[in-house]
Amino acid sequence: MEPIIEVKNIKKYYKVAKREKGLGATIKNLFHRKYEIKKAVNDISFSIKKGEIVGFIGPNGAGKSTTIKMLSGILYPDEGGIKINGYIPYKQRKQYVKHIGVVFGQKSQLNWDLPLIESFELMKYIYKIPEKVYEENLNKFTQLLDMKDFINQPVRQLSLGQRMRGDIVAALLHSPQIVFFDEPTIGLDVVAKEKIRDFIKYMNETEQTTIIFTTHDMQDIEKVCDRLIIIDTGKKIYDGSIVEIKNKYANSKTIEIWLEDGKKEVKTFDVNQTPMNEVMEELFSKYHIKDISICEPEIDGIVRDIYEKRVSLEPVVAGMGE
Amino acid sequence: MSEIRTAIQSLKMSFRTRMQYRVDALVAALAVFVRESTNIIVIYLALMKFQNMNGWNVSEMLFLYSILFLTYAFVVSLFADLRDFPRMIREGRFDRLMVRPRGLLFQLILSNADVIASVGHGTLGILLFVYSAGKVGIEWNLTTILYYICAIIGGILIQGGMFIFFSSLSFHFVETNSLREIFYWNMRKFAGYPISIYSKLIQGLMIYVVPFAFVNYFPAQYLLRKEDMANYNEVYMYIAPLVGVGIYSLAYVFWRISIKRYKSTGN
Amino acid sequence: MRTYLEFAIKKFQNKMTYRFDFFMEIVNTIITIVVYLCIYKALYGGTKDIDGITYQMVATNFVISMGLSNAFKFNEMFLQDKIHDGTITNEFLKPVNFTFRMLWENIGEGAFKIVFNFIPALIFTIFYTSFCPPKSIINFLVMLVSISLGYLILWLISFIVQTWSFWLFSVWGIITIKNVFVNILSGSLLPIWFMPDLLRKIISFTPFESIYFTPVRIYLGELSGRDILSGMAIQILWIAVLAIVANVFWKKGVKKLVVQGG
Repeated sequence: MEPIIEVKNIKKYYKVAKREKGLGATIKNLFHRKYEIKKAVNDISFSIKKGEIVGFIGPNGAGKSTTIKMLSGILYPDEGGIKINGYIPYKQRKQYVKHIGVVFGQKSQLNWDLPLIESFELMKYIYKIPEKVYEENLNKFTQLLDMKDFINQPVRQLSLGQRMRGDIVAALLHSPQIVFFDEPTIGLDVVAKEKIRDFIKYMNETEQTTIIFTTHDMQDIEKVCDRLIIIDTGKKIYDGSIVEIKNKYANSKTIEIWLEDGKKEVKTFDVNQTPMNEVMEELFSKYHIKDISICEPEIDGIVRDIYEKRVSLEPVVAGMGE
Repeated sequence: MSEIRTAIQSLKMSFRTRMQYRVDALVAALAVFVRESTNIIVIYLALMKFQNMNGWNVSEMLFLYSILFLTYAFVVSLFADLRDFPRMIREGRFDRLMVRPRGLLFQLILSNADVIASVGHGTLGILLFVYSAGKVGIEWNLTTILYYICAIIGGILIQGGMFIFFSSLSFHFVETNSLREIFYWNMRKFAGYPISIYSKLIQGLMIYVVPFAFVNYFPAQYLLRKEDMANYNEVYMYIAPLVGVGIYSLAYVFWRISIKRYKSTGN
Repeated sequence: MRTYLEFAIKKFQNKMTYRFDFFMEIVNTIITIVVYLCIYKALYGGTKDIDGITYQMVATNFVISMGLSNAFKFNEMFLQDKIHDGTITNEFLKPVNFTFRMLWENIGEGAFKIVFNFIPALIFTIFYTSFCPPKSIINFLVMLVSISLGYLILWLISFIVQTWSFWLFSVWGIITIKNVFVNILSGSLLPIWFMPDLLRKIISFTPFESIYFTPVRIYLGELSGRDILSGMAIQILWIAVLAIVANVFWKKGVKKLVVQGG
């Protein structure tokens, strides 16, 4: 199948003013300022097929937001090219954005003082959504996201989770084929997160919506995504399925044992170096064991290891996972 | 058609937003009214002592000022987001407009109306107009009324164009509030008085650089014909309403060029 | 004392980092002064003096009062913002007196603007038009003291209005209206000499005259000897009265905050 999103070798560099401390330097800065180049996105390529859900992760400042901005047509890449749904986003902005939805988790697009429904109405006119489609979508979304109770309340009175649901609906009313979520679950409680994840999955399954989202919450990734792209310091360092990353990089297992006398022992080991039966033998000979549990590594831990360079990844081949 | 519906929905939302805190909105509108009256009070008190300023008496001065308030009342209801544009960029709200399938200026002009400032300036403008229009010896006939309306529209376009111009600068520089402060707000301070009282340099600025003179001075001159008009080319009075169209078009072109730069640098 | 001075210095340094603002604000002050000088030049229209007041005296009045009022501007929404976002309660936990901290931060800002805004603007305007020299060096030095007292009056009036944010949802409107009164009645837009007699009489019973007009008159030598002393005594009296009023509002406001939790 033809990819719906194709990103080739994009780069984006920024000039950042250097700040020096001290009174002398501040006076000097009044007249002359030094700049340095920050490589926000440094040669990233990938392609995404219609109907995929791709999680985009990376530590703060890794270039996630810049990439999302380039994908949604807000920024030009300095080098390289992007083609999405047949459009070049940064060149054909007005036509292109009709087909996408963008949810910025940290920047609400809802009118703070008015009921949600007012902001939705505005979307209807801005996107020229036919009345019938609008009504259908609104009914469907409000039901799925359980919003009937608060759709007529001013946004400022809503909880963060309710507001986020409102933002998601506002971005999806025009039935976009591709949706970018920039940290849609940030700061939400477990229940609210769960609702949003289910909704995203539902949209993907029933409407074949292609979805890219960034997050810091690995649970989001595990529960929703098929595919994971990790970027760090402007480069793509992993691109593949979640199962794969677990099998490949999660070598360490943790065994917890509860002893007869009520004490608890924890042992972590690497399955590649010490086979499981050796470990078990050692444990059985050493302790009187009452209960035992073997813990699968959490994706959280793996990613943390990757960020902190405790695990070195093999260089990724562009277009992997196709 | 959908443009008009979007406009109506936006305006409805701006208005309802302000009406959420009725008392607060009323106090704020009153505060704007009182703040803007400051110069009027000063002019009034000063002319009690001095009788005239370069041949302009109190009523004529107030008529001159009223045009400034009336045009601005429209400017803040249309261009409020462009007035506060640096903040919009800083808070990243502009990105939101870029992912919507509409013209950016169209969205900016519609998305927010400063109803409070509009009411404050508008009320003052109307009061001053009503007070002065009958006392300054203007014969209100079809020509003068038509001229007056065109001049008001021109004045709105000049100031709107300037807001667009300054907003475009935000794409090139991090800090533009100060430039805006000097070239818009400070020049506006000059504009409340007959420009003939200023040095040649300031007059030049007011006519050719930040053309506030075409917002109120030359239109007022067309209607009042004061002596100090002898210092300027008479054509200025007649072209005043057209200047707005010119400035607005120039600003629009500059906006189109500058937006490219935003896309390449972000904020 | 040392701690509060530290706040003033921090604010001073903070201001230095906004470089563009910095140049522009000077121009801002110059333009404001120039507009008014032009207006009064036109009003005088070649006449030597009006009721004994020369154009030079008017110009001097403007440079001092308008220049200083620009330099003495500070963020008057500070207290309201602190109350709205709830951080004010954190301030009470700190071992410094919050109101003194506010005062010293504002003084730091004012000092910065005097050095980097008022003085450059003053130098520019000296080339633009001629001013009256101070009556004597003594008058000049006494004026400096009198200006400091004037600043305290200005600050206390602002502080009193700011404390109303303990009771009101927004004080922006009231602060704006207050500033109109201060700007007009202190003579920074229309010299008090030219006000109608009745208004002038009324102003003499208010603290507004003590903000800029007293220092200006000391500088010009309109007040001398005993008059200087009584002028400054009135300034001090106003500071005392306003400080008491401010204290009452502040105490009541804090009490309300503590009892009702904002």
